Amino acid sequence: MKWKPKDLLDLDNLTTEEIEHILQTAKPMREILSRPIKKLPTLRGKSVVLLFYESSTRTRTSFESAAKILGADTTNFTVAQSSITKGESLLDTAKTIQAMNVDLVVVRHSSSGAADFLADTLKASVINGGDGQHAHPTQALLDLFTIQERIGDIKGKKVVIVGDIIHSRVARSNAIGLQKMGADVTLVGPPTLLPTEMSYLGIKLSHDLDKELPGADVVMALRLQLERQQSGLFPSIREYSKLYGLSVDRIKKTGKQTIVMHPGPMNRGVEIASDLADSVQSVIEKQVTNGVAIRMALIYLLIGGGTGNVVD
Amino acid sequence: MLWIKNVTVIDPGQGVSGVNDVLVQKDKIVEVGPSFKAKEVLVKLGVTDINEVNQIDGDGKYLFPGLIDVHVHLREPGQEDKEDIASGSRAAIRGGFTSIMAMANTFPIVDQRAVVEFIKLQARRAGMARVYPISAVTKGFKGQELVEMMDIKDGGAVGFSDDGKGIQNAEIMRLALEYVKLTGCPIISHCEDEALASKGVMRRGRTSARLGLPGIPASSESVMVARDILLAAETGGKLHIAHVSTKESVEMIRWAKGKGIDLSAEVNPHHLIFTDEDITLTDTSYKVNPPLPSREDQEALLEGIIDGTIDMLATDHAPHTWEEKARPFQEAPFGINGLETSLAAVWQKLVQSGKLTPEKLVECWSLNPAQRFGIEGGTLKPGSLADMVLFDPLYKEEISTEAMESKSGNTPFLKKELQGFPVITWVEGRMLMKNRKII
Amino acid sequence: MEGTPKNKIMDKDGIRRAVSRISHEIVEKNKGTKDLILIGIRTRGVPLAERIREKILEIEDINLPLGLLDITLYRDDLSTIGVQPVVHETKVPFSIEGKTVILIDDVLFTGRTVRAALDALIDLGRPQKIQLAVLVDRGHRELPIRADYVGKNVPTSSKEIISVCLEEIDNNEEVILLEKSKENNSI
Repeated sequence: MKWKPKDLLDLDNLTTEEIEHILQTAKPMREILSRPIKKLPTLRGKSVVLLFYESSTRTRTSFESAAKILGADTTNFTVAQSSITKGESLLDTAKTIQAMNVDLVVVRHSSSGAADFLADTLKASVINGGDGQHAHPTQALLDLFTIQERIGDIKGKKVVIVGDIIHSRVARSNAIGLQKMGADVTLVGPPTLLPTEMSYLGIKLSHDLDKELPGADVVMALRLQLERQQSGLFPSIREYSKLYGLSVDRIKKTGKQTIVMHPGPMNRGVEIASDLADSVQSVIEKQVTNGVAIRMALIYLLIGGGTGNVVD
Repeated sequence: MLWIKNVTVIDPGQGVSGVNDVLVQKDKIVEVGPSFKAKEVLVKLGVTDINEVNQIDGDGKYLFPGLIDVHVHLREPGQEDKEDIASGSRAAIRGGFTSIMAMANTFPIVDQRAVVEFIKLQARRAGMARVYPISAVTKGFKGQELVEMMDIKDGGAVGFSDDGKGIQNAEIMRLALEYVKLTGCPIISHCEDEALASKGVMRRGRTSARLGLPGIPASSESVMVARDILLAAETGGKLHIAHVSTKESVEMIRWAKGKGIDLSAEVNPHHLIFTDEDITLTDTSYKVNPPLPSREDQEALLEGIIDGTIDMLATDHAPHTWEEKARPFQEAPFGINGLETSLAAVWQKLVQSGKLTPEKLVECWSLNPAQRFGIEGGTLKPGSLADMVLFDPLYKEEISTEAMESKSGNTPFLKKELQGFPVITWVEGRMLMKNRKII
Repeated sequence: MEGTPKNKIMDKDGIRRAVSRISHEIVEKNKGTKDLILIGIRTRGVPLAERIREKILEIEDINLPLGLLDITLYRDDLSTIGVQPVVHETKVPFSIEGKTVILIDDVLFTGRTVRAALDALIDLGRPQKIQLAVLVDRGHRELPIRADYVGKNVPTSSKEIISVCLEEIDNNEEVILLEKSKENNSI
């Protein structure tokens, strides 16, 4: 195969082969994470800018660790510390970054399309660290990796994603990635958070979690933005939790040793009960570790070698 | 003195549609008729030497009454970096528009007679397309107090609109429709329920869901169209619905016309040419309000034009600077630059494909606007102002900011070739554009 | 590795004898097998390491720990090569602290692979000693590195390629000399 992508913006423009190559490359990265000395010379002299317009300590830290373990230098451009708050446009910020000759920009932004915009503007590689409600491809890849690690081949596995689907970039990217890998995906949520237009994905939409659980190999809860209650999207946290909250008891309905995922940060007792989050079925901490491995793989693939033939 | 020969005259105002000669003396049309002889022309124009008459061969070309665009944003006063009255009215001439109606969302807002008169003065200084100011309905676009409609009308405004913003308070809209009767002008309604539109940036649907862009539901427009129709019916005020973009709106307007309610409606060319499916995250020139419709809506809009439910085409020319549009899709301003591309785009996409006749185009873009807003033009009847467009259906041009007269280049047609352009534009008998260049 | 075959350097038996001799030398030089660890460099160092382990088991009745090392992330030419090398897992599931590591590869050429392997090893811990075993040493060193155990020394020109084929990977067992037909990027 050939490795062509300059950027990672979403999973819809990656081939299944490319996704598999990323997951494959994350395996040796995962091994490196378990070493006492987690430092490689691979990307010595390469620079990575972390451009975060939304505060997200976990994602930023994950990217930062990944880049540093591979030996790259990282620079943080975060909201509180730079001209972002002085109203400089993303375009000018991009041009500034360009002028610093960086190799890779990881961008997190509250506007859908911000990563695509940067990729269009910059010569450097761009990784989408989450843009608006559009995409969060590294989260989806780390989820795929975690599923593969725990239950093997994704093909034919039943995956239920439950929560605030319409506002979730995690749900979108995961739905696309899981579909490409051959999983049988069902999206579940109340009609206000899972409106009919989500049918564009061509997968099953359901409002009834209990009906969808039987047979599920993986159940993924999404973070519920509690302020959405004030906008009238759901009547109360109590009712949401009753209808769509995951718990040890509820997950028994799958009839399987189902694995439970959550992209974090969790609202314990809302979308997921503590008993389940801390149970053996939960892979939530694994997701975090695997996040670093996946991001190492991506950084290596985008700026580690050429964009030509993949050679063994 | 002007003699245009063998040109296909399209003038639904007098039921003319075919190859004719057209005679113009000073600023007026003298006659439209089948191939005149030189001797006849001398007599009709009252001259002795044929060399005094400028003769133009119109073979293979069309002659339209000058197009009238009832919906443009000229940005002056206040945002002259995007456009000003001079550049906008030059762009109009280059696009085949001899009269344009300028919306009130400038800085300051057009809510006093002084601003209306300023706009008219600037337009006169520019000496290009005639510019008719539209005044705000409410002071400062706040949706609370009505403007001094009579004084402003006396200053030269031909309609009232808070375009750019919908009037949210139904009672204010009702009062406006009542009071506007004093002026005889229409209220032009920008139909948008702000709570429904919320932070949306494109039509809500499968594409917005896919792109993860906040959606504006079709109902955001349609509920306001329904409200305004009922208020117009109740008050008897004259209503014009701006930029109709949903099938429900079309259906309700059709119903209202059946009931004899005094209303008219316009559609923007971009709503007839693009759909929400054309939107990509990186091309903000497709970001427009009301947002690009679904395919179903688009079909209903065209049907509305054909059956007369929709009266007019209007560009909603909304220039924005490159910097403003060079932002992520969610952050860029709404608006498409339309004056210099719309006629070609409509010709190529709708007339050439047989969806729209040239007669319908002229009716919607010249005759109906003149009649509805009571302004001059709209026809080539003898005695009318010689506002005319010579249109070459074969002329091809690649759209470029260098060639454009507008200060802004926010059009999805940039760097694309279109076919069918005006090659001469006359206002009141004066040739202002020839071979795609302002004279 | 493209090229026109020139001549066979080793056949199946030749390889077997070389591995056998290296194994004996390892035991002899280290005065037994105490604290010995075998680590094969991917790809062809791995089956060679396995064979050496078997041989040592046969002669000393000791099953030595065996690890595999992927050196891709330690290459010094990643930013200059036009291709995308696949990263494989390094599997050294035991401590190398204070041990004597026998690093095993098929061909010793410029020394850059071994340099990368040394860096990779040191990131895993601090061995007492590292020794190098190779099936073929073809010269042309670019770094001050030499092998402790050599199957066969083969003088070559820079226009030639040494191709090692092993049953486990190539379904074939031989070492041949090829005339280079185009640039190749491996180290």
